[in-house]
Amino acid sequence: MVDLSQYLPILLFLFIALGLSVAFVFLPMGVSRLTGAHQPTAEKLSEYECGFPAFEDSRGQFDVRFYLVAILFIVFDLEAAFLFPWAVSLDLTGWAGWTTMMIFLAELAVGLAYAWKVGALEWE
Amino acid sequence: MDYATSLYLTGAEIGLSISGLVLLLVSAWGGARVTRLVTILAAAALFGAAIFTGHLFTELSVPAAGDAFGGLYRADDFSSFAKILIYLAVIACLMITPKYLAANGIYRSEYPILLLFGAVGMSMMVSAVDLITLYIGLELSSLSSYVLASFARDDVRSSEAGLKYFILGALASGILLYGMSLIYGFAGTTDYAAIRLAFIGGIETGALFGIVFVLAGLAFKIAAVPFHMWTPDVYEGAPTPVTAFFASAPKVAAVAILMRIALEPFADHVDSWRQIVVFAALASIVVGALGAIGQDSLKRLLAYSSINNVGFILIGLATATQLGTSAMMTYLVIYVVMTLGSFTALLMLRAEDGRPFETFSDIAGLATRKPAIAWCLLLLMFSLAGIPPLFGFWAKFVVFRAAVEADLIALAAIGIAASVIGAFYYLKFVKVMFFDEAEGSVVKTSPIGQWIVLILAGIIVSPLGYFLNGLLDAWSSDAAASLFYLV
Amino acid sequence: MTLQVVAFYLFASIVIASAVMVILARNPVHSVLWLILAFFNAAGLMVLLHAEFIAMLVVIVYVGAVAVLFLFVVMMLDIDFASLRAGFVKNFPLGIAVALVLLAELVLGIGAYRAGALNLGAAEGTAAPIPMTSNIESLGAVLYSEYLFLFEAAGIVLLVAMIGAIVLTHRDLRSPRAHQDIGKQVRRNPDEATIMTQPAVGKGVDL
Repeated sequence: MVDLSQYLPILLFLFIALGLSVAFVFLPMGVSRLTGAHQPTAEKLSEYECGFPAFEDSRGQFDVRFYLVAILFIVFDLEAAFLFPWAVSLDLTGWAGWTTMMIFLAELAVGLAYAWKVGALEWE
Repeated sequence: MDYATSLYLTGAEIGLSISGLVLLLVSAWGGARVTRLVTILAAAALFGAAIFTGHLFTELSVPAAGDAFGGLYRADDFSSFAKILIYLAVIACLMITPKYLAANGIYRSEYPILLLFGAVGMSMMVSAVDLITLYIGLELSSLSSYVLASFARDDVRSSEAGLKYFILGALASGILLYGMSLIYGFAGTTDYAAIRLAFIGGIETGALFGIVFVLAGLAFKIAAVPFHMWTPDVYEGAPTPVTAFFASAPKVAAVAILMRIALEPFADHVDSWRQIVVFAALASIVVGALGAIGQDSLKRLLAYSSINNVGFILIGLATATQLGTSAMMTYLVIYVVMTLGSFTALLMLRAEDGRPFETFSDIAGLATRKPAIAWCLLLLMFSLAGIPPLFGFWAKFVVFRAAVEADLIALAAIGIAASVIGAFYYLKFVKVMFFDEAEGSVVKTSPIGQWIVLILAGIIVSPLGYFLNGLLDAWSSDAAASLFYLV
Repeated sequence: MTLQVVAFYLFASIVIASAVMVILARNPVHSVLWLILAFFNAAGLMVLLHAEFIAMLVVIVYVGAVAVLFLFVVMMLDIDFASLRAGFVKNFPLGIAVALVLLAELVLGIGAYRAGALNLGAAEGTAAPIPMTSNIESLGAVLYSEYLFLFEAAGIVLLVAMIGAIVLTHRDLRSPRAHQDIGKQVRRNPDEATIMTQPAVGKGVDL
């Protein structure tokens, strides 16, 4: 069992961050609303593109290569996540645990070498 | 834990994984030049794994002696039998593939490597005596199958097949995992033997739901009705050699885990799953037979034929006896031979301009244009229909005999009736090839690898196959006996 | 103790609110951002449950990688989301039916909860946590000893996922035009980059 009180500073930090960010966002909005003129019309709120209505969606289509990068990132991210429990439990698992992780890393290193060699890590 | 024994028992998987890793590096550095070499080495690795498994098969005299890694994995006669079948089927797929992929410009060395890793996953599945091993093996083999289905990535139909297979396969995995988590929740363990102990006094409703979900998830993987709807689309869209693979090796693995999970942890609760299996068996036979009738596409027709065959295999499971299990093993062997043979024949049929033959009108009058292939197809189709002198009849016969001995006479009777309906479209195949007018295009010559697979399949399904009977029966009953060892 | 309760309600209410916003946001990119907020607060809930490793996984894997992948996928697909929403009124009855089914499940679930505890199997043997250790340590202790075979197999699964992604999306773009070889550019010297010619008057230059 873990003593949750060690997370207290993080919780306090979260509360303070939340309070400050709320203040920074909403305080100027409220002040300007109370002090300035506020008369919105439909024309004022509509989007503006050189006097024409918008031609197209602002969302452009991404290249599929971003997807490849993201998948490779997920794989190595998971690999890193597996290192944490391995590191803290090494005294319980001993050499068997150490060897296990080295083999696991080797498997993914082969994958990395493959990805590198076929040029999956290159952009152009 | 005794690592040396564990490593020895899992030798086939470890060897295949290491060869996969090495071949991956070879392919990365060698580029397109080494594709053929990688294919040959992959086949050699599979052959080595098959030999090693055969050695285990003969050596492990006591069926349950081979537990590895603290009961996660079991090397017994059942798993060895299924593994050898899987490895040989994958080798056959490797033999028939290169020319087809090269003709389509997609022959890359990742293809044999993915098949190799798929084979690792499948052999983990058949050896799994723990729900987690089962799941990881299943994911490994499924993941490589998804990629293989859309291997022709510039072909819209292949991409679509891969996408459909992926989405429905992921759904099936989710259902399976949900069922496993229910079983784990009620049993408190994922180990098959311990699950059996936990449920010895009776089964909770929640755990019953778990069994139903697990069976549904596995029914997806073996394409049994009512979870078959992906099969025709995926089989039609995927490149033909990949379809041949889907219809053979993964099906053996999925049927094997279904058998093990039904007959090991839930052997004391046969009544709670038998109805489901009986329903799936009958529905698969009927839907497979009726669905094929209207089809014009040959690949879709063979897809329905595989659904139909899965139904017959499930009849063996419904008996829940050692005889039924042994019959299933025999059926699986003959089914794999017939399926690989028919897809190879399909693969060899190409027009002069390289266009593959896809519909009945393409194969009209084939007997005059390419008599050798036509005669082999005749044997294979008659065998699939279960017409007596051929080996396919023996497969159906052993299954029905087991059903009758287990007092499932109604099931056997309906099965026999439905197989008569099924015979219709197999005969249509033969009629179109032999009695219809030939049309223009001429068939190209085929590579030697495809001829070898086709002729071997033709010889085995022909009445000559009965010479194998003694061996096949002995092996099947050994394999079945190891599932019933604890009873 | 009270602080835990306060923290729980804070995290739980933000999870629910941001989950609602995932559905209601008009812009799919905003939906993904709300999803990230939901993941973060779910991680907070996991910490309160003493499941620190899961909290870490949620932050590292879900927020760090899966959410980014979602963003890419949303950006990659050429879908007109406005037209997807157009069928709202037509599909409304179906939506209501699904909502009713879910409501029924909720009611049944509460009923089952009220009916008393289920007779669940006890985690024993290898599945039981090791006393006096954090769960991340207990997890490591089984993952890298009992289940090391499956851990290696999981590594192969990840490798196959990598190969699959490369096979399906990677195209060899190293054509002469698209590929930039920086080393070659740096090694360039005036001798091979320029030519000296002395054309006669009115002749022009031969290139």
